[in-house]
Amino acid sequence: MKPAAFAWERPDSLPALLARLAEAPAGVKLIAGGQSLGPMLNLRLVEPSLILDITGVPELREARVEGDTLVLGACVTHADLEDGRVPDLTGGALRRVAAAIAYRPVRNRGTIGGSLAHADPAADWVSALTALGAEVEIAGRTGRRALPVERFVTGALTVALGPDEILLAVRVPALPAGAAWGYVKHCTKIGEFAHAIGAVRLEPGAGRGRAVIGAVEGPPVLLADARPLFGGRIGPDFAARFDPRAADLALREAGMADAVERHIHVTVLGRAVAAAADPDPRADTLPEAA
Amino acid sequence: MSAALAEPGPSRMALALTVNGRAVRVAAEPRSHLGDVLRDGLDLTGTHLGCEHGVCGACTVLLDGEPVRACLTFAGACAGAAVTTIEGLDTDAIAGELRAAFNREHALQCGYCTPGMLVAARDLVLRLPEADERRIRVGLSGNLCRCTGYAGIVRAVMAVIADRRGRGIPSETGAERALGPVGAGVGAALVAPLHPPADPVAPAAPAAVADLSDAFAPAQGFTQVLDLAHPPEAVFALLGDIAAVAACLPGAVLTARPTPDTVEGGLQVRIGPIATTFRGRARIGRDEVARTGAVHGAGTDAGGRSATEGRIRYRVGAGPTPGTTRVELDVGYTLTGPLAQFGRPGLVRDLAGRIAAEFCRNLDARLSGVEAPAPAGLNPLRLLLGLARARLAAWLGRA
Repeated sequence: MKPAAFAWERPDSLPALLARLAEAPAGVKLIAGGQSLGPMLNLRLVEPSLILDITGVPELREARVEGDTLVLGACVTHADLEDGRVPDLTGGALRRVAAAIAYRPVRNRGTIGGSLAHADPAADWVSALTALGAEVEIAGRTGRRALPVERFVTGALTVALGPDEILLAVRVPALPAGAAWGYVKHCTKIGEFAHAIGAVRLEPGAGRGRAVIGAVEGPPVLLADARPLFGGRIGPDFAARFDPRAADLALREAGMADAVERHIHVTVLGRAVAAAADPDPRADTLPEAA
Repeated sequence: MSAALAEPGPSRMALALTVNGRAVRVAAEPRSHLGDVLRDGLDLTGTHLGCEHGVCGACTVLLDGEPVRACLTFAGACAGAAVTTIEGLDTDAIAGELRAAFNREHALQCGYCTPGMLVAARDLVLRLPEADERRIRVGLSGNLCRCTGYAGIVRAVMAVIADRRGRGIPSETGAERALGPVGAGVGAALVAPLHPPADPVAPAAPAAVADLSDAFAPAQGFTQVLDLAHPPEAVFALLGDIAAVAACLPGAVLTARPTPDTVEGGLQVRIGPIATTFRGRARIGRDEVARTGAVHGAGTDAGGRSATEGRIRYRVGAGPTPGTTRVELDVGYTLTGPLAQFGRPGLVRDLAGRIAAEFCRNLDARLSGVEAPAPAGLNPLRLLLGLARARLAAWLGRA
């Protein structure tokens, strides 16, 4: 359980990091908190020749509000969100997701950008940030670009980063007044990767909403227009109108052939809808298995 | 002492830490994790190592005052940080109360989990003065104990929290600390090169592949459908041409064909940052009348640590419209070793789906008389350079 040998470099500025990444050999790997990559290194599933530690870049460790958008540097940790060390525009949604990730010692080092770039389909941020309509900011030597999270995560452990690019920040839009948020994950042991995730971000006043079914084989299943899940209309009575058959159909269309798997995911999505309608401030910081 | 912390050498970095209040310098390879640095470099053996991949919690220590997994904190990631181990908590008030409560409640038996358990429990006491039993159980869920059934541990932590609440001691939330991973102080650039550069390791001989028994019962399975705009007889004929078909399969290399129905070779598998090459052999069967076939193979990765055995059955039938073909693949596999420890069946299916999509595009190109496009996103086959360029269909789904 010891990693293969690697060199370690920790650039102290973004230009230095991007320059080093551009000239680095093929076996380079970026690391932030290392809570996903670390186990893979220890198991020697990943054997990079060079690790670039991105935590020395100051702007990756910042958070700020830009109008109606919360901008979280890639190295902001789950514990930073859990403890309220960053501003909140989501009515506590980010804080509750963060507080239920893995275990506290993992949350103290694990980062939002690292988790998203690692893109484990069962990880919380992949689904939660897709449902929240977040974007990622990407930096390369030739400039910057932005992508919605659903276009950033392209497969299991696979993202749309070029070899000389890094994930700079996550941009989370504010949850408007009156919006309903529900996020439920199903684990059989607390802290393990989820077996199913359901997330909804609904605006009953505006009649629109997004729904995500996560912890599937590849990227989460996104219904950018969630109205079909609610009989075609999202109103204040959305919880009563939730139609599990529509969710089941969406999963069939996404290629989920196993009826038991579909049942589990539809049930968890239904719980997320119920949680959005009736948030329980006591229960929702704890994973479902608790 | 482990090789990673032997006498100073060119591959090691000078690591400055403050350990239990004392400034220390220790030579460590960048790959050494904090648990090995403490135990082997500084003889602080109170920090225990269990799983070494972040699950068991035995190695939990305080880094800049906050609990972290020592096994997931590499030397280069904590340069300049302050570490507190269980030895450094001898005079800590909360740790003292916890030790007394653990003693009173029989909260330990073998003691292996206890250092990590105390560090995690101390964090709960500090942060959650209102915690009920459920919160405490959730909070301790990252620390595994194989002896006690947790009942005494939970009672001990509850007792300390209740006692401190009774004395009116407030929580410490750490709200003022800087953003980012704890232990990663801002501003210090670091370069710890690897000397000599890591050479590609000579491929170890693959472990002997067991006889491919017809009684093979796969642990995992899935089905895959390929639709091709070419007639079934053409598709079935192509699937009988190993070299042609294999040229369409990303990551596969054919090295030998000792008998007409046996092939040897390898398949490079990439899932995100994971890249491994399985080498082994496979047996091919084919039924010309029924237009079905089967491939049954087994292989190991370079170190012989992960092993797999798999079987693909295919059936070539008419597609939804005349002149088209539907190929039904039935894939069953068993995977053992570290890759199985990490890999979940869903990840393998996602990978197989993406391989199948590329395979299908390449098959289509070849059937259309177009040169198959070069596979995208695949690294050079590190372990198989110089070997035959022909490829092998037999390895589909061997993840």
